[in-house]
Amino acid sequence: MKTLRWWWGPLLAFGLLALSGLFLPLPFVIEVVIFSIYTMGCNFLLGRVGFISFGQPAYLAAGAYGTAFYLFYFGTNPYVGLLVGILSGLALSVVVGPLFVRLRSDYFALVNLALAVIIYYLMQKVLADITKGDNGLWFLTNVSSTPILDLGKPKEFLIFTFIIGIAVWAFYKYLDDSIYGACCLATKVNEDKVQFLGYSNFSIRLLAFVIANTTTALAGAMYAVYLGFVSPEITSPARVADPVVVTILGGTGTLYGPLVGAFAYTGMKDVISKLFGNWELFIGLLLVFIMLAGERGIWGTLQPALARIFTRRKAGAAPEAVEQARG
Amino acid sequence: MPADVVTHGGDVLCVRGLGAAYGASRVLFDIDFDVGDRQIVACVGRNGAGKTTLLKAIAGFVKPQSGTVVAGSLDLTGHKPYDIARLGIKYVPQDKKVFSDLTVGENLELGSYATKDYNWDRVTAYFPKLKQLMDRKAGYLSGGERQMLMIARALLGGPRVLLVDEPTEGLAPSIVSHLKTVFTDLSRNTALVIVEQNLPLVCAIATTVYALKEGRIVARLSGSEAIRPEACEPYL
Repeated sequence: MKTLRWWWGPLLAFGLLALSGLFLPLPFVIEVVIFSIYTMGCNFLLGRVGFISFGQPAYLAAGAYGTAFYLFYFGTNPYVGLLVGILSGLALSVVVGPLFVRLRSDYFALVNLALAVIIYYLMQKVLADITKGDNGLWFLTNVSSTPILDLGKPKEFLIFTFIIGIAVWAFYKYLDDSIYGACCLATKVNEDKVQFLGYSNFSIRLLAFVIANTTTALAGAMYAVYLGFVSPEITSPARVADPVVVTILGGTGTLYGPLVGAFAYTGMKDVISKLFGNWELFIGLLLVFIMLAGERGIWGTLQPALARIFTRRKAGAAPEAVEQARG
Repeated sequence: MPADVVTHGGDVLCVRGLGAAYGASRVLFDIDFDVGDRQIVACVGRNGAGKTTLLKAIAGFVKPQSGTVVAGSLDLTGHKPYDIARLGIKYVPQDKKVFSDLTVGENLELGSYATKDYNWDRVTAYFPKLKQLMDRKAGYLSGGERQMLMIARALLGGPRVLLVDEPTEGLAPSIVSHLKTVFTDLSRNTALVIVEQNLPLVCAIATTVYALKEGRIVARLSGSEAIRPEACEPYL
């Protein structure tokens, strides 16, 4: 609905992250960008549609295993592998979506959790002949070199993740500003009233579900290509809350929240886990603090302050300055 | 798609033998109800008489247990609320809850996108104040402004019937007076069904009044001589 010069925001954010790559380890930066893509789907579901999902690892695994099966058994081109991974996530979402989106938000959270657990045991036990069980599928050496961006080289993979990260961010920005984004927000606020206008809640939710989980599958496919390895651990029941935690940590429903949350979460995990064994304890305490401080997350708290600073500097300037400072 | 059924005598909305319930509790019994072209039909009755349920049953939010709801040549009985809205039967609920996180313009855009009607000048002509509020978050509007927004949004697409539930509840007299003019103007193009307790308003604009009591229609008043406050008062 608003046509703004929106592109400088993500360029600045991802640019800062790219600069941080000069003094931060490459794997850390790649992990942050992929994790933020992983979280963008969850953030859209929770922030725009009002659905909390504890089953995102299921769709992450669909993407990762789709890519892994292709690269382990069938081919060597990582781009084709990524495409197979994305299509796997899309297929899973289209199959389960019509059943899941009819549910209330609390049941929706639990049924997705159940799906994540089912996929975990499928990959670990039932399909162990194909998935190699806990040993996982190793295919790093199968991945062929590709022209332009060779995804087998970490630095080129980093560039690739940034391009994809910005593209996904821009896509969600477009969705947020579109009439469909308004429909999602409207169905979250009052599902009956959306119907008064002639919209089907089911269709709105199903599309959001498919979009969000296909994004998650994309992140899974990227993990698979980057690591050259996939095991059932990717959908472990112990990890089901990760994207929800990062969404809340970053700021639910904000466009920069997933990026900020992924940076903070991965950073804390890396730093604190070197100092203490139980890093989850600190994340838990931080989450409790964030909830008590107002449920807005890191970006949700920073955003108004930045907007104020920006507005003061540009006093009397165009109102889009404020919008740009927002997420 | 709804089955083809023709209403009687050119009525735009025809309800026959409508019954509805919330679980085991029956709320509407055998309602017969007609709305003619360009008519303003008012429903009056005490709290709990079933007025709101009647509108919800027509709009598809309460599934009828018995009877039929026919609009023009379309049988709407049992159809989804969004299908009924798309067919031009728009419901404006009582609670004045708008999409508070969206601006007035975005609220209207939701209505426009669903109906492909982007002629906002036509609807803001009824409520000129909305033009000044386009960029304001709907959550910051007053009760009267919210009511204007909800009616304006429902008018997009040119509905054939507008179902309005207690539109003047809690509003200032000046806004009630404005709504009275708006409803009269609207009735030149759209049939209206209004649930209302404000008898002076009802008597000023309604062409037919149905009185409900305990889920049944107990009186039907038609014509300006019959529709008088003292004639309606016993049913409130």
